[in-house]
Amino acid sequence: MTPDYYLLRPLKSTLQVRFTSLRANLASGPGIYWPFSYFFNSNSLWKSAFIWFPAKKRGMHDNAAMNTQLQDATLIDLLDRIAQHDHAALKALYELCASKLYGLALRVVTDRDWAEDVLQESFLSIWRSAGDYRASLSPPMAWLGLIVRSRALDMLRRRAADRSHLTQDLDDTLADTLASDAETPLDTAQASEQAWALHQCLVQLEKRQREVVSLAYVRDMSHSELAAQLQLPLGTVKTWIRRGLDQLRTCMSRFA
Amino acid sequence: MNLIKNPELLERLASCYALGTLRGGARRRFETLAREQAPVRAAALIWQSRLSALTELQPQVAPSGAVWTRIDNLVQGDLASKAFAARRVVAQTADTAKGAAKATVGWLQSLVLWRLATVAGAAATVVAVATGFEMRDQLGGQIGQLQAQLQSAPKIEYVAVLADDKSAASMLVTFDANSKKLTLQRVGGYQEAGDRSLQLWALPPAGGPRSLGVLGQDKVLRLAAADRDVREVPTLAISLEPKGGVPSETGPTGPVLFKGALIQKML
Repeated sequence: MTPDYYLLRPLKSTLQVRFTSLRANLASGPGIYWPFSYFFNSNSLWKSAFIWFPAKKRGMHDNAAMNTQLQDATLIDLLDRIAQHDHAALKALYELCASKLYGLALRVVTDRDWAEDVLQESFLSIWRSAGDYRASLSPPMAWLGLIVRSRALDMLRRRAADRSHLTQDLDDTLADTLASDAETPLDTAQASEQAWALHQCLVQLEKRQREVVSLAYVRDMSHSELAAQLQLPLGTVKTWIRRGLDQLRTCMSRFA
Repeated sequence: MNLIKNPELLERLASCYALGTLRGGARRRFETLAREQAPVRAAALIWQSRLSALTELQPQVAPSGAVWTRIDNLVQGDLASKAFAARRVVAQTADTAKGAAKATVGWLQSLVLWRLATVAGAAATVVAVATGFEMRDQLGGQIGQLQAQLQSAPKIEYVAVLADDKSAASMLVTFDANSKKLTLQRVGGYQEAGDRSLQLWALPPAGGPRSLGVLGQDKVLRLAAADRDVREVPTLAISLEPKGGVPSETGPTGPVLFKGALIQKML
């Protein structure tokens, strides 16, 4: 099994950025997303809202859904134009999505320079294969996200091969993150309809379960890789992931 | 294993597969089942799609401005190379069209043809030059011959028709400047007596008659004469004299039988 040496780098800078981003979300004041930020960042409050005020929740969701559809239409239009080699459309797409996609790349590779390389490669890939988007039947943001994740995982594999002579060090910062109350916030800005659904299920998970599930997917890590990375017993990781997935299945079946 | 009859297990495996934590032999077995059974495949795709939303939920971080500059440069380079390739395709198409036109006049483009033509041209030039020299030599000979012939040909400068008192032409006189000879031809039926001779006289405007010679019995006779004997002599005359003629100083002693103007021929 390939050790994940790519996680050797400290995540301090990444985490700082995350917190900055969170503060920015909270500080941005009333906006289209602010009720969600409020509820979803405060787990128990969201649950009580879900239980006691389903009608209100549904109303807010419709509002967000309209916004999501508008955004999807904009992105699809841009992708169609990029498929026709419209340079201005690529710039517009970059301006809309770069922060979101860079955040994802950074989450996978944990290094700013690598993440910038990943973002660059991803946009060149989008430039060349935007014509393939229509066939994917995915929400545009998910399609873009898959491209970035795929590029970022390629980058990790390349770097892991480059650095295989180094001994594995443990990502203490990440382990600390899991141990403490601090968590990687889930960001619903620009999220598609299906992302809203997943988000609503994820926030019901215990924080550590959510983080482990999220890391497993985003970094494509196995149980043992996660265990080594997070300095946790393998059995614990397996249990968290199993429980997390069980809860997600129950929750997601309501949206499917 | 019939996963389709165990929806709960199918869901669990599909979610583990999509998350990526289903590994090794279990993953391969699930993939085989998914290829064989559409519901398994559908479950896997649904969970892949659901979990792909995780990529959308990551926190936003602004990249540095240099990233767009780099992307922009690469994309512009891509566009430029595409444009270049398109131009090359157009040029190639034009070349093909030219090739079709060339086929019709293809033989004119043949290198062998032009080499053969050059060799043939050079050979023809050599032959022509050689022939030219030869012909010049031949012509030189011919010209010399013709010049000689021309020299020898009579050059009639003066003509006179001498007539009797009844204006009947009796004698044609011509002077050949080349041979310096006077030629006399009897045209009438006149025949002098045996003891008599006809003598030709020049009658210059000043001074007495000057004898040019005595005629024999022949039908045509030639007399040697100098240029000055005939030049500026307006008239010739023939007198009947005693046999052998008379000296020039004495002048004609007998009657003048024929007389006529000496005309310088212009043509």
